[in-house]
Amino acid sequence: MVEMLAYEFMQRSLLAAALVGAVCSVIGVFVVLRGLAFVGAGTAHAAFAGVAFAYLVGLPPLPLAVVFGLVTVWITGVMEEQGRMKLDVSIGILYTATMALAILFIGLMKGYNAEVYGYLFGSVLSVTPEELRAILLLSLIVMGVLLAFSKELYFIAFDQEMAEASGVPARRIFYLLLTLVALTVVVSLKTVGAILVFAMILIPASTAYQLTHSLSRMTAYAVTIGVASAVGGVLLSYVWDLPSGPAIVLLATTLFFLSVLLSPKRLRRVTVG
Amino acid sequence: MTKTIIRFAHATFGFPGVIALQDISLDIAEGEFVGVIGPNGSGKTTLCRAVLGLMEPMGGSLQIFDCACQELRCHHRARIGYLPQKGTLDRNFPITVLEAVMMGRYGALGLFRRPTGRDREIALDALNNVGMQDHRDSALGGLSGGQQQRVFIARALAQQPEVLLLDEPTTGIDITTQHSVVDLIRRLHQDLKLTILLITHDINMIRPHVDRLVLLKTRLYAAGPPDEVLRPDLLRQVYGKDLVITEKDLVIVEDYHHHR
Repeated sequence: MVEMLAYEFMQRSLLAAALVGAVCSVIGVFVVLRGLAFVGAGTAHAAFAGVAFAYLVGLPPLPLAVVFGLVTVWITGVMEEQGRMKLDVSIGILYTATMALAILFIGLMKGYNAEVYGYLFGSVLSVTPEELRAILLLSLIVMGVLLAFSKELYFIAFDQEMAEASGVPARRIFYLLLTLVALTVVVSLKTVGAILVFAMILIPASTAYQLTHSLSRMTAYAVTIGVASAVGGVLLSYVWDLPSGPAIVLLATTLFFLSVLLSPKRLRRVTVG
Repeated sequence: MTKTIIRFAHATFGFPGVIALQDISLDIAEGEFVGVIGPNGSGKTTLCRAVLGLMEPMGGSLQIFDCACQELRCHHRARIGYLPQKGTLDRNFPITVLEAVMMGRYGALGLFRRPTGRDREIALDALNNVGMQDHRDSALGGLSGGQQQRVFIARALAQQPEVLLLDEPTTGIDITTQHSVVDLIRRLHQDLKLTILLITHDINMIRPHVDRLVLLKTRLYAAGPPDEVLRPDLLRQVYGKDLVITEKDLVIVEDYHHHR
């Protein structure tokens, strides 16, 4: 077990997994509490369409993933704000439309491109030093912004109208949250892939939700669970020669079901955890 | 001379194709306790949103703290403590009573400033004012409806507001708790010298406590001491039924004759 940590690729993989586990789970707290669970899924597929387009036209994939993700998440925000249709419907439309775009771009490529599929399914064991630096930079940006605006983000997650009425610039904070979701998705694409990144945003936060009645504790638990799942998943995938993305997500899912069984919220009388 | 804090001058509010409040002229003075009554859809909640600076007038003007409502900035809004209509709270939402009350400090603090020990003291003081200090570490979702209303009033108080705006604070809670919530509001008005704007359907409950009643049905039908506003002719115009005021109650005429 110890000798595998001597390999540079394993060190990079574990660090990338820990960063993705942490950043996804923190943003996940606000996504779960604000009821934006499927925004992560829609954005992930939009970002993947950006990656596919980048490979088609020969541009670097991450900037285009950011652009596609941001445009999609902002359109979702406008639709939610204007209330023209239910959020799940608008996300469903954008989710499928961006996936169709991704398939179209892949279809237009000449031959099979394994790197594109790496972004779809994730391949944390093949993270390069440049990719790790990009993940580190984006993670620091997202975590720094989350920390700077945490009190406002908590307030809009609890009650956006009340936050606005109390003097918090709630609308701008809501769009900031959507922007951070898009950046988080891009950070995580290479590690867990476009299909499974949504799970990393949703599952650790939902697991923490089962375990406490306190906002601050929920965030701390979510980060712990997210990092443990991501690092544990990478180790399992190395030891048992499993694909890393599914190993991470299935480990997180196991922890989620354990938390449901052990949740203090299942008790009749509510106590603070 | 008492200072006017809120001034509607021929103000009209609404949405595209819908007028919710029309040609409202009303002054609310510092330290006043004003009750706003009217049937469903009469524009009471629109009045609330207007005072919070969340709606701009389509005509006329609304001045709050000597500032046009459309120019209200976040720090002005923080001077108005707001209790929204009781919604459905997810009982499992992970938030403690103290965390919820601390949110009342966030608008006043502004961006990039972290809550300090002083903010925590203010939040605890607000909880003390509503008699919920022993529940500060309890899960908000585990409290009764009346206790949750007290916590939300504490959150509004934690803003250290000059105006307390309460939108149907007694709706959805049992009769005993309704009385205790109204007593609490009356005490806060007296002890903290707050200007209170209370929107309600429960005329009997607030009638003994308010300085003035405002009777709305899209237009302002009357504003004055309760005895002047609760006139049968005015009530008939607004509610579309004959209402009669007994010594203690306001009842529909047919029920009054039936029970007499």
